[in-house]
This record gives sequence, structure tokens and C-alpha cells, in this order.
Amino acid sequence: MNLCMIGCSHKDAAIDVRQQLAFDNRQTLEALDCWRSKFPNSELALLATCNRVELYAAGATDSEELTGALLDYRNVSSKQVEGHLLTLNDSDVVRHLYRVTASLESMVVGEPQILAQVKQAYQSAQDVGSTGPLLHDLFQSALRTARRVAGETKLHKHRVSIPSVAIADLASCVFESFDDKHVLVIGAGEMAEETLRYLHDVGKPHVHVINRNAERGKKLASQWAGQYHPWSELWSQLVEADLAISTTSASEPVVTAEKYDELVTPRRHQRALCVLDLAVPRDFDATIADALGVYLYSLDDLAKVCTDNQSARAAELPKAEGIITQETRRFWVDANHRAAVPVISNLRQELERPKKAELERLFQKLPDLEEPVRREIEQFADRLVNKILHPPMESLRDASQEGTPHGLLDAVRRLFQLED
Amino acid sequence: MDSGINMLCFSACYAIALALELLGLWRQIRLRRLVLFLAGASGLVAHTWYLGKRVAEMPAAPLASQQDWYILAAWALAAVYLVLKFYFPRSAMGLFMLPAVLVLIGVSRFTTTTPLATFQSPRIWGQVHGVLLMLGTVVVLMGFLAGLMYLIQSYRLKNKLPLTQSRFQLPSLEWLERMNSRSLGAATLLVGGGLLTGILSRLAQEGDQNFVPWTDPVVMSLAVMQLWLVVAEVFRLVYPAARQGRKVAYLTLAAFGFLMLVLAAVTLRDSLHTKGELGSVEAQVSPSTTNVLRGGLL
Repeated sequence: MNLCMIGCSHKDAAIDVRQQLAFDNRQTLEALDCWRSKFPNSELALLATCNRVELYAAGATDSEELTGALLDYRNVSSKQVEGHLLTLNDSDVVRHLYRVTASLESMVVGEPQILAQVKQAYQSAQDVGSTGPLLHDLFQSALRTARRVAGETKLHKHRVSIPSVAIADLASCVFESFDDKHVLVIGAGEMAEETLRYLHDVGKPHVHVINRNAERGKKLASQWAGQYHPWSELWSQLVEADLAISTTSASEPVVTAEKYDELVTPRRHQRALCVLDLAVPRDFDATIADALGVYLYSLDDLAKVCTDNQSARAAELPKAEGIITQETRRFWVDANHRAAVPVISNLRQELERPKKAELERLFQKLPDLEEPVRREIEQFADRLVNKILHPPMESLRDASQEGTPHGLLDAVRRLFQLED
Repeated sequence: MDSGINMLCFSACYAIALALELLGLWRQIRLRRLVLFLAGASGLVAHTWYLGKRVAEMPAAPLASQQDWYILAAWALAAVYLVLKFYFPRSAMGLFMLPAVLVLIGVSRFTTTTPLATFQSPRIWGQVHGVLLMLGTVVVLMGFLAGLMYLIQSYRLKNKLPLTQSRFQLPSLEWLERMNSRSLGAATLLVGGGLLTGILSRLAQEGDQNFVPWTDPVVMSLAVMQLWLVVAEVFRLVYPAARQGRKVAYLTLAAFGFLMLVLAAVTLRDSLHTKGELGSVEAQVSPSTTNVLRGGLL
């Protein structure tokens, strides 16, 4: 089996290099279509995400030609990506794709999106018709391996991004469900958007956005089917809120303890308020956490949980690596064994032919044989052929553990005068 | 036919489930949750079998004696535990509920097995009275345990202690608060219904026993408890802050305190009865002491 991978990732290339090689969905389809006619004897798939661009090929393909095709398509010179492109062959390709799909190569180890991205990459290749049996086996086994890693380790169970920890690890300890909850977003920064994305994955809250810049606030609110409120409604919205997410870039706390005690506390009647203060410096005065019913978490508190979770993930890595090694070996042994299948099949046919001829001759000489005796003789002949075949089969299977046993297969072909 | 199932069988199953809940705090053991659930379910099956056997022996069971009454309350709490364990498999609610189940079974060992008083008034009133008070007790216990869990979870959130990463997991504050609030409302109705049916069953009696012995310690403590539950409900209606958060938890803790008083009064009275002293007490306090215990507390 001839496998090859050309590409770059966040590990080897900075974002400016990755941007030059970036492909969107449409470009991926076009590029695969173009390369398919250029390399008719190869199977091709392109995995393009924010953090990596990787071209996988199987069949009669030269890695330098592939590199040239990739760079030419993006009009990038080899000098521009010198030292940033990674080239892998055969079992290294299998191991790499398994690690990528299981999220061990991700920027945030254990993040789940990569699995869908690998699936999409294979689907795109299938749509264009650039895949074949080799890449099919490779990608399907990669997805199976990723599922094994997800199921047999806790790598994905510990969240490590601030928004996911804020929602899934903390806010969910306060609220049973986020459906119909009044979520107040103060500020319209990236962190607010990311947190709302996680929030929408787990429920259907009513989103209310407050921002000094009305245009940005309205944009964020409309993006999440929410409602925009002017800054003057901050205190009345805090009275109504179940969950407050604050991400402004204000240099002073926007919610002071005095104002909170005066305008919000008496009207909330100790109803639970979960505050995720994701701003630096803090938007909520730290002493507000002392108010009854208020559960205030700052970025530092959340970062601590993230760090703990990262350590927990790191503890799961050896187990995940063990699964990758096991599955890579299994894939390779299966692939090598598949390469020997035509020879084994030929060999069996070659031995079956004389067996049948000799049985026919024997049965013609002894026409009065009873049916049970004839069956016994046929079984004897089958057993004999199987026993003769057993040692070479075993040798081929053993040799397949280390790679395609070309020498042995050639020897079998010559010894038994098998046709190709 | 003696099935061989006794209190030790289901107590042991619940104890194993509790031990597994405790073990889960220290170590991650494969299939622990499944074994724990099976132990709890086996306990409940044995418990049900035991109660069924009691019904077969005595038609008035499972409310024929104080012991039966406690064992039935323990059964109801164990059933609630199993249902909750099914919905919240990761939560450590068993650390709160299973000890309560075991305590109820344990207390039943010290209560009398003497059948409650002969039924003179319509039997249905006695049975309804007993069932309502038993359910009221279970609901107050549930509220108390939910209140405890609420305060612990709230403390952990306030002090930023490890939550989802910890092996000690509890349901969300919102769920616990809802449980607290509903248990308080349900307890008011159930205990009120129990008290009312007890009064009705007394008034339905013939002869000189058709009056309510308000000075009796059991009746008095039960009436005080009901009064407290009604006041707590009115307080919650009038004062919005008492409808949520810690205040509901405190109200359920207080309700539990009153329940303890009632149960202490019942157990103490009946222990006197088993010592053969009830006759004198009966004569002095009320002519209908035995009927007070009919099918429950009144």
C-alpha cells in the first residue's frame, strides 16, 4: 500500500503560512476535481480546517508531485512554505490521520469538532469521486479509532475552553435547563458570542444584549434571535436575568457593589443569579458575590477549572496513544494481508485443480463406491489441501505484521508457477 | 411458606448500595453504578416482598403496627431513591437518602409490632389517615434532604469548590429548589389531610370516644407541625424571597424538626404501651389512646 500525506498544521506553520494554503469548501471540491484528472491513478482527500491543510493520497503518487500540485493550486512558491510542510508516508500517514481524527493533534487536545471535519473531508472527496478503496479503509478506520478514543478514555469529557467550562461546568450546576432562561449579555465581544454558541447547544434561552455600541449589540442580538437593550437598561435587565455574561472592555467595573445593592438586590428577592464575568479587568465588583443568591465567577475562576481539566486530559493521553498504536498496527496488518489475498487465492485455485482431477479419476476407477465413502474421500482430499496450504498461509500472515511480504509472495508465485 | 426474606435482607442491600455510593467518592470502579443500582433494586424487591408477606399475614398491614408504618415509609423513600438514581445516575443523592431509609428501618426495630387499636370507626378513615401521614412523612424527609443538598451545593458554588470535576455530584440548584418548594406544599396538604382524616375517624366513633384528644402529645405535636406548615406556606405566598433559594431550604429543615417531634411523641407513647403502662396513661390522659394510634398517629 502506498500512502502519502502532504500538509501543514498549527504545529509546524504559523497562521500566515496556513492562510496561504487555506481552502474553503468550494475550493476543496474544485481542487480535488482538478487533481483527480492530474493524478488519475491516485485516490485523494483534502482535510482543510482553521488549523491544518492536509492532502492525503493513496496509490501510485509521488510526494513531490503532490506538493507541487498543492502549492500550484494556491499559487504559493515552495520557498514561502519551506520548513513548514510535512510529508509522511505509509504507516506514518495512518498514525497521523488517527491522531488528527481523535483530536490528539488539535490545538485544544480533545476538542470534538475535528471528527466532523474529517468526516466532511472524506465526504467531499467522495462527492468529487477522488476516493477509492484504500482511502475509504483509511478514513473509516480513522473515524472508528476516534470513536474508540472518545468511548474508552475521558479525553473529551473534561472541557478546556473558557465558554464551555462556564456553561457546562458551572452554570449547569445552578440551572437544570437553559430553556426559557433570561440570559443577559453585557458587551458584544468574541467571548460573548462563543459563550452564546455553547449556550445554544444546551438550551433555548431568551437572549438580551446590552452594549454601548448599539450597532454591534443589535448584530449580536439578531444573530442569536435575542433582543437588544440600551445601556441605560442595565440595572432593570440585571433584575430580570437568570444568567449574566459580561465581556466588556471597560477599565472599571460596570456593575459596582453599591449600585447592585441599591438597584438590584431588593428587587431580585434572592432569586439565583449566575454571573460569568469573562472580562479583563472585571466587569462585576467582586463583593457582589457575597449577595444572597448570586454565584459570581470571574475569568480567573474559570481559567483555574480549565487548567484542572487540561491536567485531567493529559492524564488520559497515554491511554489514547495506546489505542492509536493498536489501531495503526491493526490497519497495517490488515492492509498487508489484503495485498497477499490475490496470491493466496491463486495458490488455492492451483491446488484445487489437481485435487478435483485426481478425485474424478479415482471415482471413475471405483464407480461402485457408496455415497458416504465418496464423501469421506472428498473430505480427505480437502483436508490434505488445507494442510498443505497451512504453513505458507501462516508464514504470509506472520510476514504481513512487518509490512507487505513482497519477497515471500514472489517466492510463492515462482514455486507454484502462479500467474499474476 | 416462609420466603426467608426478613428486614436484614433489604437492609443489607441498602447498606451495600450506600457503601458503593461512599466508595464512589474515593475511587472510580468499573460497573460501580450498575452494581449500586442492582443492590438498591434488589433491596426494594425484597422490601416489597416483605411488606406483601405482612399483608398476607395480617390484612390491616402494611399499616397494622407502628413497625409496619416505619417500614412502609422506608419503602416509599427507597422507591423514590431508585427513581431519582435512574434519572441522575452520577449524583451522590444516595449518600443522603439511603441513610434516611436505613434509619427508618432501624427505628422500626424499636417500635412496637403490637397491632394498632381495634377499628371501631369506619376502617377506611383509619387507612386514609395512616397513608396520608406516611406519605407526608416521606415528603417532609425528601424536602429536608433536598434542603440539605441545596445548602451544600450553594456553599460549593459560592466558594468555587470543584463541581463537575468532583466525584461528589449533586443535582442543580434549580432542581433542588423546585424539590424543596414542592415538598413543602405537598407536605402541607398530606399532613393536613392526615390530621383531618384522623379527626374525622375519631368523630365517627360511637360512644364516649367521639371527641378529639387535643392534649394528647401526638395530636398536639401533629397539630403544631401542621400549623407550622400552613404558616410556612402563607409566609411563602406573602414574602417573595421565601419562595426561592436558601429560605425554602431553611423552611424544609424546620419542617423536619417538627416531624422529628411528632415521631418522637408517637414512638415514646407506643413504647409505654408495649410496657403495659398504656392502660394507666389511657385512663388518665384520654379514654381513646389506642384509637389515637389507629392506622397511623391519631
